[in-house]
Amino acid sequence: MTDWSEVWLVVPVYNEGQVIEDVVRHARQTFPNVVCVDDGSRDNSADGIRAGGAHLVQHPVNLGQGAAIQTGVEYARKQPGAEYFVTFDADGQHRVEDVLSMLERLRSEPLDIIVGTRFHGDTAHIPWIKRVVLKTVVMLSRRTRKLGLTDAHNGLRVFNRTVAEQMNITLNGMGHASEIVEMIDHRKWRVAEEPVTILYTEYSMAKGQSLINGVNILFDTMLKSKAH
Amino acid sequence: MLIQYILVLFTIAVLLLFLRKRGTTKSAASVKLAFMLFVVFGIYAVLRPGDVTVVAGWLGVGRGTDLLLYALVVVFTFTTLNAYLRFKELELRYARLARAIALRQAEPPVSAGQGPGAERS
Repeated sequence: MTDWSEVWLVVPVYNEGQVIEDVVRHARQTFPNVVCVDDGSRDNSADGIRAGGAHLVQHPVNLGQGAAIQTGVEYARKQPGAEYFVTFDADGQHRVEDVLSMLERLRSEPLDIIVGTRFHGDTAHIPWIKRVVLKTVVMLSRRTRKLGLTDAHNGLRVFNRTVAEQMNITLNGMGHASEIVEMIDHRKWRVAEEPVTILYTEYSMAKGQSLINGVNILFDTMLKSKAH
Repeated sequence: MLIQYILVLFTIAVLLLFLRKRGTTKSAASVKLAFMLFVVFGIYAVLRPGDVTVVAGWLGVGRGTDLLLYALVVVFTFTTLNAYLRFKELELRYARLARAIALRQAEPPVSAGQGPGAERS
């Protein structure tokens, strides 16, 4: 039970050559199965992924983080024995310990998906502007509030096979987080949140998505609901 | 007036160009019909600009030109949105195509112990 061979880490990678090998190595000390989706990186990310010992799926062109996660999930769910799936960021801001406690919960409680949340207890480690923006996004989304989620844009998620089979992300870019919330609502996945700690390193801060991108996310999400 | 000849000839040229490109599916038929109506209206408006002004008067717009401008803005907005949605749709198909290629060429890790680690110094 503790060899975690039924768990698959899905890591979208875009130009993370500097850190990806260490992130993969570190994750693989606990989880043997890691699939990295290299989203058309222009640096040596692919070498790092190979050296770290992860499965490598390479997009021939850059498609966006949403598309990369979907590719990773599709790859992982085809693997024999895959039961639990984790979306994990490539920049080293997620902690393996958090994944472990989320997996424990997913196994023992009647849940389909657990989403990490930064908003619990002391939130002083989150840069204040990020806090304001993330809070605003949650406030603006009726669905997020209905589901009782406080941090829908957290990249750390753990889910079971049911969710993996039904996962169908169509927003290629950063809008996928809202899209996943929408899927949770529509497909009636049982959802819960788990407090996690995000390691805001200098590297991840520099790489992290810009706040301006929030506008893109809102726009894409609004138009999507009209289009489908 | 010379401008009338130029505009009418230009409009007819566009219509002919448009009609020559056949072969697309039925779904575009309504768009084509609407376009033809639009062209006919365009020619009419060029030949009898006074009538457009009358219509504009009915609608509470000062001049025919203003009415045309407003209509243009509406049509342009619609077209832009339509193009955006179509572009998104294409992007999704493109992503699925790229994904299929990526999954086909996936590389499982080289078994532990040996492998790429050795290449690095």
